[in-house]
Order: sequence, then C-alpha cells, then structure tokens
Amino acid sequence: MRVTVKLIGPFVQLFGFSEKALDVPEGTTADGLIGLAGVDRSRPKIVTRNGRAVAPDEALADGDRVAVSPIYSGG
Amino acid sequence: MNGWTGRILRVNLTTKTHRIETFSEEFARKWIGGRGFAAKILFDELAPGVDPLGPDNKFIVALGPIAGIPAPNTGKAVVAGKSPSTGGYGDGNLGTRVAEQLRKAGYDVLIVEGRAAEPTMLYIEDDKVEHLPAGEIWGRGTYVANDWIYAKYGKGAGVLNIGQAGENLVRYAVVRSLEGRAGGRTGMGAVMGSKLLKAIVVKGTKPIPQADPAGMKKIGYEDLREVNRIDKKTGWSIQSTNGVLAWCNEVAALPVHNFRKTHHPDAWKVDGERLNDARIATYGCPNCTMRCGITIHDDEGRESELDYENVALLGPNLDIFDLAPMASLNYLCDDYGVDTMSGGCVMSFYADAVENGAAPGDIRFGDAEGFKKLLTAIALRQTKIGDLLAEGSMRAARAFGRGSIDYAMQVKGLEVAAYNCKFIPGMALAFGVSPIGAHHKESWVITFELKQSARESYGPEKARKVIELQRIRGGLFEFIVSCRFPWVENGWPLEHYPKYFKLVSGLDWSLDDFWTVADRIYSVIKLFWLREFPQTDRRLDYPPAVWFDPANADTEGPIAGQHLEYDKYDGLLQHYYDQRGYDRRGIPTKATLERLGLAGEGRAAEAYGKLT
Ligand code: SF4
Repeated sequence: MRVTVKLIGPFVQLFGFSEKALDVPEGTTADGLIGLAGVDRSRPKIVTRNGRAVAPDEALADGDRVAVSPIYSGG
Repeated sequence: MNGWTGRILRVNLTTKTHRIETFSEEFARKWIGGRGFAAKILFDELAPGVDPLGPDNKFIVALGPIAGIPAPNTGKAVVAGKSPSTGGYGDGNLGTRVAEQLRKAGYDVLIVEGRAAEPTMLYIEDDKVEHLPAGEIWGRGTYVANDWIYAKYGKGAGVLNIGQAGENLVRYAVVRSLEGRAGGRTGMGAVMGSKLLKAIVVKGTKPIPQADPAGMKKIGYEDLREVNRIDKKTGWSIQSTNGVLAWCNEVAALPVHNFRKTHHPDAWKVDGERLNDARIATYGCPNCTMRCGITIHDDEGRESELDYENVALLGPNLDIFDLAPMASLNYLCDDYGVDTMSGGCVMSFYADAVENGAAPGDIRFGDAEGFKKLLTAIALRQTKIGDLLAEGSMRAARAFGRGSIDYAMQVKGLEVAAYNCKFIPGMALAFGVSPIGAHHKESWVITFELKQSARESYGPEKARKVIELQRIRGGLFEFIVSCRFPWVENGWPLEHYPKYFKLVSGLDWSLDDFWTVADRIYSVIKLFWLREFPQTDRRLDYPPAVWFDPANADTEGPIAGQHLEYDKYDGLLQHYYDQRGYDRRGIPTKATLERLGLAGEGRAAEAYGKLT
C-alpha cells in the first residue's frame, strides 16, 4: 500500500525530507512507518493520521497521510 | 531587599513631576512582579469606569525579580493598563532592553499618569527623569522613531515607542521595542498615545540587588549556553514559531478566510520551511540564546520580522498564500504599531462582512494590495471604514449589525490568536477564559487535546490542563517576567525558575508557592473585570459564535461536519469555574478570595459588584 509521510517543523531539516510517498507492506503501523521513513523514534513527537491523532500500534490503510511533528506548545 | 529594587517610579505627564516610591517586602512576596505588580496597582489605583484613553488611565511597565539578569530569556518587560479594546484589565509582554535598564536605573515598576501637553519622550537615567519634546518623531513610524532615538542616546539604551496607530488611538495599537518586537496587544500603544507619550528611553547604571550575584551570574550564563545547546538539538529555532503552521494545517486548526476554513492546499507556501528558506537575518530579545525572530524581504524590499501568529493571521486568514506580500502587511503593522494578530483578524472580519453584504466596500479576500491600503487607513484613521475598523472587530460588528458579531473573531473585544478552534474545545476554553480577552499566551492545549485527551472531549481534564498552563504561562512567566519559550518549545525544566528566584531573592520557594501567586493574580484581575462590568455573565467567557454554527462546519478534511456545541462548552466552562473556585458567573467566590489572601480586595470590589 502507498502512504504519505509529512514531516513538520525542524524534523524536515533534521531528517532530510519534507514529504514523501512510501510503498509499505499491508498492516504497517504508524510507529513502523516512522521507522521506515528514517525518523528518529526517540524524539518526542505527535503523530497524526489524516489529521487525527493516531496510536503507535494502529495499522495504516492505503492512501493515508501521516504527519510527524515535534510536540509544539503554541508559542 | 534582595530580588527587588523595592522602588517604583511614578511619573505624571500633566504636571511634569515624578516621585520615587518604595514597596514593602510583603507586597513583593505577594505579587512577585510583572503582571502581579501591574494587576494589583491597577486594581488599587484605577477608579472603575475610567476612560482607557483618558488621562486617568495609567500606563505601567512592570518587571520581575529575574528580569534583565543574564539567565534564560529574561529580556522581557510587561506593559499594562486598562485596555481600550476590552475595557477590562489589559497587558502584554515584549522583549526589550528596558527590562535590564529600568532595573539598573533602580526601579521594578514605572507608572505613567496624566496626559502631556505636547508629544513627549520620557527620558529616565537613574534618578533623573526628563520630559522631552517628541514633536520631531510624532507622526512617524516606529522604525524612524527608533533610529532617531538611537542616534541621540546610543543603541545601549532601552526604548519603548509607538507608531501612528498608537498616536491615533487605534484600540489594538501595540508598544514596540526594536530590541525585541511588540507587546500589549490589548491596546497599550493607544494608552501611550492617549497620553501623547511617543517614547520611553531608559538608561541605568546601578547593580540589581541579588542575594547571590556571583552564583546567579555563573548559573545564568551556564544555563544560557545549555538552552542554546538544547535548541540546537531540537532544531526548534530553524523554523521558530512558524514551524507549527504546517501542523495546524494538517490537523485543521489553521485560520483561513476569517477562520471559516481550517486548512488549505496552498498553506505550505507560507510555512516554516519556506520562511527559513527566505530568511535574511535572525533576531532575538536580550538574554536569549534561541533567537526566534526570522526576517525576510517583503515585496517592497524591506526587512520584515515574522512569526507564526502574524504569518497565519496576515496570510492564510486573508487568503494570502505568498510570503512577500504578507510580509509587507506585517511590516506596515510593525511600523504603524498595529498588533499583527488583531490587525489580521479585523481585516479578515471586514472582508467577511463585505462578502456577506453586512458592510459596504469592495475589499476581497486575497487582495494583498487592498489590505495594505486598508491597514494604512486603519492606522491613520483615514477613511470612514478605516476609522471604524480602528475600533476593533467587536465595535465594528456592532456598527455593521446583520449578525456580523457572530463572525467577529474576538472574546471580550480582543481578537483571537491564530488557532482555529472550530473543533478544539479545550483551546476554545483557553481563549474564552483568558483574563485579557482571547490570547494564546495564557494557555495553549491543542497537542494535549489531540494526544492525551480526545479532541471531542469536553471533560474536566481539559479544564484542568487549561488551569495548569495558565499558572505557568499566564502566571509564572508573566510575574517572574521571562520568555516562556525555553520551557514551552525546548522543554527547559520549570524547576530552574525557583532556583533563579532563590539566587536573586534568597527565598526558598516551590513551584506550588508560585501557583498560589498565579491564582491570586488571576483572581484580582477577575475582580478588576467585575468592578468594570458588575452585570457580568458567563457568556463573556464564550468564544465566537461562528465556531458553534453547524452551517460553518468544514465540509471535508479531518473535522468535516464537526463544530463546537453550546451545552457541552458551557459544561466545560463550569468544570473550569468549579476547579478554580469561581461562581457561576466566573467570579472568584469569597472563600476563594479568602484562601488567596484577597479578602480586602474582595471587599473593595463588592462596592461595585456582588460576590458570592
Ligand atoms: S525565544 Fe524569541 S521571544 Fe523568546 S526571548 Fe528569544 S527571541 Fe525573544
């Protein structure tokens, strides 16, 4: 299945891309996708799937858009 | 008294006199500084009903015990007075060398009273106070005025000044300092303007009294380096505050088209990546090692300093998805001394009202040139519409009628910051119960709502979170007076602040002690509001009606079909009041006031409004 990963804020510079589409195996979870995309798992972050918060072990579906962001606190 | 200079400088512009007063240790411990001092002084000294733009209002600059001392992000000052936009208590903070210079001159607080006979610049150097003519810079923008002042006094002086918007009493005019940015979006620039006070220049030469100056110096500099190291690791200042724009767009929290929409496919064109790419320089407030001011060239080649709030509200909120023209609007706001947030919201409201046939005119969303002209007309009160919009969206909506108040994006007369709460109940509450009108500086709960709670929840956990953050952001950082960003965005532990406090004052306080002070300050501000609005009602704490309107719900995207609900919001508001010890109108009960040591203030307020 094909999913899109969107990095937010300094993650773009830190992990070297802004947005990319990836072909991943069926059943890939949000956390699994983060690993596949080369994002440092230990960073504090908030992950959303199609704009809504997602649990790390939640399985993704074809066409999903996953945004990975530092935990902003609103300036 | 270590930790405080113990002195207040009171200047009267009408009589051109000044007085140096002292305050007690008890006063210092009860209110700590900054917002605490300002709120208590304004409560004690302003008679209810005073015209915010008349000579009886007071303009206050208030500092805290660590203000101006080298340590993480202490180059901030609080400016306060009765707000021309809300009619209640108003304040704001801004980065400025005045923080350090005023304390070195020997003062924790400056109170300016009366009204000058001619445009005036106040010059303070230690015990010397001069009322100097400012006719040469009256009518000029903040950049020219600042250069004129620096040419006279050198760049080491602390400077606060206003632009034409403050002079023309635009109700959301700010105070500017080129050593930082702008502050006092509750109209503090107009309060200065109403006093014909164009600028305040401060120089000081005395040491700031501290319990352990050597220890403070060592730890302060060490911590400044450490904050810089952390910031490099997190990368926060690469995109600074505008990093959040792309996230707001993902999660449907971005203001687009006067908050009618929550996301837009072109938002990426003005996001943090593009801003960083266009960067020409970086600026920061004094004592800051995670400098967040990013400047770019605007479409007229001028250098314009941007952050998230002004990008979102002068960009997507006006349907402008191009950095350069948006930066022009921002430059004009900064030069005229108009608050970028309220300026953006007032103009988006007007475009919405025109679109809905509620207001005359031909302005259209996306028309950057049209908005530039409109902004000038507002700042200079040049046209009938400019003059009306200078009054703010609440008053303009009352004039336009036709239900336009529903989409005037304000609470209590202060326009909302750049977070679209169409379906973010806790953040809507944070705007609703902010003690100065809608502002994000008091509390910001969106990531909590998405990650640790549930977006659709109106449960007590959200009220609890709002209060927790109010105590930190609207309390601690506003009374100790330093920038909240090291903690907010880079996780700098709060435990450092009692440590700094002990080094300067010798007092061994816990964070819980600080929270009591924060609650006391919020309560005295509530009493200020009660005195001004004795018929107060919980609906004053409601966010804009359009967020509750099913017809305004998104038709696609993450929150399609969803909107706030009145009965549920009211329940959340009640959780907040219950947890705070407020009554059903949102006023602290007598028992709460007693607990916070405010029985006397309660009795003073009771002469005007009922307590329960
Ligand atoms: S982080 Fe930004 S607002 Fe805070 S002190 Fe530094 S430059 Fe000023």
